[in-house]
Amino acid sequence: MNITHEWLAEWVPNLPSVDETADLLASLGLPVESVTRHDGPPPGVLVVDVTSVTPIDGSDHLTLVTVDAGEQTASVVCGAPNVHVGMRTAWATPGTTLPALGVTVEAKTVHGQASEGMVCSPKELGVYDDASGLIALGDDVEPGTALADVWPAATVMDVELTPNRADAFSVRGIARDLCAKLGVDALDPTRDLPPVVAGSDAGVTTRVDDPAGCPQLVVQRIDGVAVRPSPVWLQARLAALGLRPRNGVVDVTNYVTYELGQPSHAYDLSALDHEGITVRAAKPDEPLELLDGRSITLHADDLVIATGDGAGQPVGLAGVMGGAGESVTSATTNVALEVAHFNPVRIRKAAKRHGLHTDAHLRFERGVDPDLPPLAASRAAQLIAHVAGGAVRSHAAVEGDTDVRAAVPFRPSRVAFLMGFSVAEADQRAYLERLGCEVDATGADGWTVTPPSWRFDLKIEEDLIEEVARLHGYEHIAATKPELDFTPPERDATHRALRDELVAAGHQETIAYVFTGADEASAVHAPAPHVYLSNPQGLERSALRTALYPGLLRAAAQNQDASGLRLFEIGRVFLSEEHERLAVLHAGRIDGAAWQPGETASFHRLKGILETLAERRNARVAVVPADPDEFPMLHPGVAGRVIWNDQDIGMIGRLHPRVERHHELSETFVLEIDVPLPAGRLTIRELPRQPYAERDVAVVVPDVVPYATLEAAVMKAAGPHVLTVFPFDVYQGKPLADGHKSVAIRMRWRHPGRALTDAEVDEHLQSVIAQLQADGYEIRS
Amino acid sequence: MNESQDPTALKQAALQEIQEAGDLDALQQCRVRWLGKKGPLTALLRSLGSMSPEERKAFGQDVNAAKQAVQAAIDSRKTELEAAALDAQLENERVDVTLPGTHGPSGGLHLLTKVTNRLLDVFQSLGYDVVTGPELETEHYNFSALNFPPEHPARDEQDTFWTEDGRLLRTHTSPMQVRYMEQHKPPFKVVVPGKVFRNEAVDATHEAQFHQLEALVVGERVTMADLKGAIQEMADALFGEGTKTRLQPSFFPFVEPGAEFAIWWTHPKTGKEEWLELGGCGMVHPNVFKAAGYEGVTGFAFGFGIERLAMVPYGVPDIRWFYQSDLRVLDQFRGSL
Repeated sequence: MNITHEWLAEWVPNLPSVDETADLLASLGLPVESVTRHDGPPPGVLVVDVTSVTPIDGSDHLTLVTVDAGEQTASVVCGAPNVHVGMRTAWATPGTTLPALGVTVEAKTVHGQASEGMVCSPKELGVYDDASGLIALGDDVEPGTALADVWPAATVMDVELTPNRADAFSVRGIARDLCAKLGVDALDPTRDLPPVVAGSDAGVTTRVDDPAGCPQLVVQRIDGVAVRPSPVWLQARLAALGLRPRNGVVDVTNYVTYELGQPSHAYDLSALDHEGITVRAAKPDEPLELLDGRSITLHADDLVIATGDGAGQPVGLAGVMGGAGESVTSATTNVALEVAHFNPVRIRKAAKRHGLHTDAHLRFERGVDPDLPPLAASRAAQLIAHVAGGAVRSHAAVEGDTDVRAAVPFRPSRVAFLMGFSVAEADQRAYLERLGCEVDATGADGWTVTPPSWRFDLKIEEDLIEEVARLHGYEHIAATKPELDFTPPERDATHRALRDELVAAGHQETIAYVFTGADEASAVHAPAPHVYLSNPQGLERSALRTALYPGLLRAAAQNQDASGLRLFEIGRVFLSEEHERLAVLHAGRIDGAAWQPGETASFHRLKGILETLAERRNARVAVVPADPDEFPMLHPGVAGRVIWNDQDIGMIGRLHPRVERHHELSETFVLEIDVPLPAGRLTIRELPRQPYAERDVAVVVPDVVPYATLEAAVMKAAGPHVLTVFPFDVYQGKPLADGHKSVAIRMRWRHPGRALTDAEVDEHLQSVIAQLQADGYEIRS
Repeated sequence: MNESQDPTALKQAALQEIQEAGDLDALQQCRVRWLGKKGPLTALLRSLGSMSPEERKAFGQDVNAAKQAVQAAIDSRKTELEAAALDAQLENERVDVTLPGTHGPSGGLHLLTKVTNRLLDVFQSLGYDVVTGPELETEHYNFSALNFPPEHPARDEQDTFWTEDGRLLRTHTSPMQVRYMEQHKPPFKVVVPGKVFRNEAVDATHEAQFHQLEALVVGERVTMADLKGAIQEMADALFGEGTKTRLQPSFFPFVEPGAEFAIWWTHPKTGKEEWLELGGCGMVHPNVFKAAGYEGVTGFAFGFGIERLAMVPYGVPDIRWFYQSDLRVLDQFRGSL
């Protein structure tokens, strides 16, 4: 929220400098995001009255304007549509530099007319952002006055309000906190102002059909106003906050919003049926044209302001935005000022539903002081009469009642218990009272503290402890260590060891977005998304990923310059459940210097990574040929299912050439498996005392026969003492027939208790050969 | 006496041949020829028997002297030839040490992982447990159990990605506070690193996906001073002993009292000393304990963004760089922190 240091100084006695004020506010939990110097209009700009307006021949929009600056008059060519005789505005005399425009105004000839200086819009003056016409000044300043003398510069502080501090959404609210911290009384200009009172002279009828939505409604009538531009002091104050001055009545409602924190709305009484205002729930599908020109269709949960007894058309979306038709205009003479308290949730829902974001709704959804309407109505009426003339009716129409705050039990000893520092009970009490709480310290078990109406965020003891600590100062919190009897279990929840192993093996870690789209999933043959976002950032980010490899493919695709890639990611995928996974990608030349033959990515190189991971974990890993169509993203001839300690944990293979082509990639290999990777038990085996015996056999088989099948046959026939079986050569080519390979297999046997004889081992070998032949394979000699 | 019986002449001829032996094989042949059983010097010794004692003595001495001289020459020549052979071998085995070494890509952790690891090292050394949790969360754990009332503006502070099935992507790591409490008994100290998501307009400093680290400490009598102490210990470990830290009042629905914390440090790029606003913290709100079924304990929690701790110290100009997997960027993160 924007607030000016100057305005705050009117409320806080001896307010410190801007920097010190900002530090104080931060220490109260109201940090100042930024401080901006808001310059007034430049010197050389005078207040003038427009005394004549003459169209210029040959121009459809330019006029020659005579301005009266008291002791001098001048002729100025003007293009503003709102210029009219009798208007009080601003004239930049020749020689004046307008920093907002970056020009120095000169006397010159425009369209054949001598033009001395320039009449200015608010934007040209640099006072607020409106270039649609000349600035319209109030009659509190005399022609000839230097505008800079009456329109002060301001120091704007942007105070960041956390959602709990609705009470600080005004000059009064921030001043209250500062005064409590400084231990002084606020200079409240409304202190001696009596709130409005209900009575027979209200001159307006009111009705609340939905008291839950509108616990209190005050309507104050002001008769005989003259709606005209606001006085300069008021315009300057609103402009510094970034608000656009409109007219005296509307500007006062905005002023009171910022001064006290209570939004209000002024209606032209003549536009209200039966001079009445009703707050009611909207009828389903009821139309409403808003102040900003938009038309909305209302919902039964919306709260509206309607005229008369409520049967008529709504004239405003309560607490959010007024309607188009009933606002105050220059023709208005009698004003009905509506000041109400609304239910925060109803306002929030309505604003959300209709996509509206207004200052009023932001205040009401956070919560406004429920007891404020009678005082705010009185303050606004007083200022309207001051600014726009008119007579305030002695009575107001008041519906509903003030809120009753619940008392909060409070034990002063808990401050030390929770904060670790102690504050004298007298000081605690003083802090709470300075914040507006009523403290009853007579109870045996502790105090009873009733927070003020504006601090509805104070509900429990801890809230009050924070208040005491805030005023005492968080800088008094010491730094200590808790004494806890806790030893954390040993675990690697973030897979640090796995990451380190992969990096040591030359892999670069990547982190991709968890977002994907149905199109991407289908293009790379990933499982279709299971979880879609209802409010995504674009179609390609509309769902959650079902696999990690598509992210690695994106990374590979955008790093085509790299000669080789070894990438990995550990992250979560979202199928019917959320899983943590590891994905590894190999492509291109993955080893060797450029001047050497080197090594390019291959299935078995990637499988080697998997096997190393298994060995390090004392785990068993096997890759079995994937079933047809099991992994549609993989090349059907280079696709395996990964079995880790007998659990199916994922896939390994070469990408399907269709997927490679989608990303214009060359041969690319991927591994994607669930993590964590369970480790096998580590138990030390005794060292063998017997030597092993070794025999080799070579088999010629069709290419499609997997090695694993041969190994299984060997194991079946090799007898009880077989130690290891492994392939040591795979050969294709002459003299073998096309489509065949020769696989040389080495077997080792060991008896635990004695040396095996050659005859025994040869017998095992013969059984193996017999088994292989029985399975239809040719033995190569 | 002819020349073949003159030990001196034989010695001269032998020395000549030994000197001319070009390699160890030739030298070996020399040795066999001159000193072997059939060699001329051995033959001379055999002829001693036919001589008079006087003759035998003098001649024998001459022959033995010649034999010793030949043996010495062979040994010396052998040493020479071995040295030359080694020289030749060494020359033969020469490599170009200026050619690049053999290796694949060096590999590296993502910068965010490195920063997270550093933080985990700090907290693990302080005795904290480390856990992670689901990214796809329920409204209950992300908001309601953390004391965000329904339809409260505090929920708007965290623009939320909702899923069509009514769940959400967690907007902070704080849901794990409740999940951890449901599964563990106090006292404990735990940190939770992980991805979080906000539906904000993406620019150089805002991402829809980023990382946080959350700490939660619960015990019979944990105070806000313990919170300050924990933040101080983290600051000391990350930025050096005695680093100044600051707590200022703030609001997060799941803590009360609440605070923001900052660390006084020297900005590595500008050299300016300033407060680095890191994150939010406070004492666990009684309603959060209630949601987790805890009674009679107090605790503190704090949390902060990892990206900020990676971007500011290392001068990363754009948060999106972390997620674009551009090796030209990732390569630069490889050095140690």
